[in-house]
Amino acid sequence: MIDTLSVVTRRYFDALPGAGAWLADSGRVVSGEAGTERLGTHVRFHLKVAGGRVEEARFQAYGCPHTLAIASWLTERLPGRDRESLIPGRPEEWLAVFAAPVEKLGRLLIVEDALISCKLAAWPSI
Amino acid sequence: MNAPDAPRPIYLDYAATTPLDPGVAAAMAECFTADGTFGNPSSSSHAFGREAAARVERARESIAALIDAPAECIVLTSGATESINLALLGSVRAAVAARRHVVTSRTEHRAGLDACRQLESEGVAVTYLTPDTKGILEPEQVRAALRSDTALASIMHANNEIGVVQDIDAIGAICRERDVLLHVDAAQSVGKLPLQVSDLPIDLMSFTAHKLYGPKGIGALYVAKRARGRIVPLLFGGGQERGLRPGTLATHQVVGFGVAAEIAATVLPTEAQRIVALRERLWQALRAVPGSHLNGDARRRVPGLLNVSFEHVEGESLLAALTGIAVSSGSACSSASQEPSYVLRACGRSTELAQGSLRFSVGRFTTAADIDTAGSLVREQVTRLRAVAA
Repeated sequence: MIDTLSVVTRRYFDALPGAGAWLADSGRVVSGEAGTERLGTHVRFHLKVAGGRVEEARFQAYGCPHTLAIASWLTERLPGRDRESLIPGRPEEWLAVFAAPVEKLGRLLIVEDALISCKLAAWPSI
Repeated sequence: MNAPDAPRPIYLDYAATTPLDPGVAAAMAECFTADGTFGNPSSSSHAFGREAAARVERARESIAALIDAPAECIVLTSGATESINLALLGSVRAAVAARRHVVTSRTEHRAGLDACRQLESEGVAVTYLTPDTKGILEPEQVRAALRSDTALASIMHANNEIGVVQDIDAIGAICRERDVLLHVDAAQSVGKLPLQVSDLPIDLMSFTAHKLYGPKGIGALYVAKRARGRIVPLLFGGGQERGLRPGTLATHQVVGFGVAAEIAATVLPTEAQRIVALRERLWQALRAVPGSHLNGDARRRVPGLLNVSFEHVEGESLLAALTGIAVSSGSACSSASQEPSYVLRACGRSTELAQGSLRFSVGRFTTAADIDTAGSLVREQVTRLRAVAA
């Protein structure tokens, strides 16, 4: 049967690596979010940051399969990044990687906003 | 793409379309090749054409019998969308200049709503009625909306998204009092609910073969005797179908429609009972999922259709997660349109619940085991997606 999702979208959507959040007492965790359920997309990233770099990342998301898959994929790309390099590429590039329809761009901008929110939470004084 | 040998999902989208009944496929197969009924039904000068015409007329009688109508009241079209367009545009354009108003509902199928938009562009006023939270229109709403210049009321019998059935009898009686034509979109109910137009104040009624185990590409518009002369064609050339729908009839499609109608008439009472039981079995499984909400009236509904909203779950994701079953997103939140279902919104559902809705529709080939599997899969995936939700 033909799948409506690309192979890479299907792989991440089915497994959703990086999904979830740490317990509140985990320390060194910063979070950032964007969107609302009412808008159809709500994304929250959680980053463990040490020495100015991301050690580990997790996400929570309400949204379409592409939103969830790309948020999941991003958590794999965040470790090792610092403030300047935090966001791995642009939403337009994520669209291409996941062969997502261009109509999804608005949702991916919300994903990007959640990362920007994380960045401001992790490096507030810079 | 999934692996080519992956098992096919359980089909629970009978409201979108149905597979051919094997009896229909067999009858259609007799109409394709040189040794079959391939003639043009309009070619009355030779045996091939006359044979095709005879089969077409036999099919027309079967289609008419299913709704208890005279055969001459059946106009064959390409499907419900064309029938709806012919009913709305054809009857309003035929009305006298003093009648330039239409009454319809906000929860009609797109075919009806878009035809109304077209009429508006032609200067016709349209009143869109809003149903209650269960999707029901009160007949008195129709009475209140009728004006001295109303030409037509167009109200669907069973809603295609939530399955709610309207009181067509009462609505039609009100229309008759005011000499307003009533068109009914019955695409979701013909062959599934008893619908005898001889007992109902319906002037025009649209339906289609592919919702009742017949082929796609063939439908019908019932035109009551009192409505003749009050409708004009949208197409011209050939004079077929009493001039209302010219063009060579597709014999195989018509024959398939006729056999599907015969089968539906035979099995309707027992099939409806069985399908209601399956639908209820599915609802019992789904209502056990915390935060699930039935959309539409619980009792006034077409047998096979169930529309359920799940709190804190996005419909498109749920649909994509349910690879083991084939259902529809009630939210219509496709990649092209991120708007939640206009039907659910018209019924007062919140945007969030409208986004988290799925339409399940069971049918002739659904089994109890299918229902149990579907219920388990939905519970599993709703739980998984909620665990991920922000």
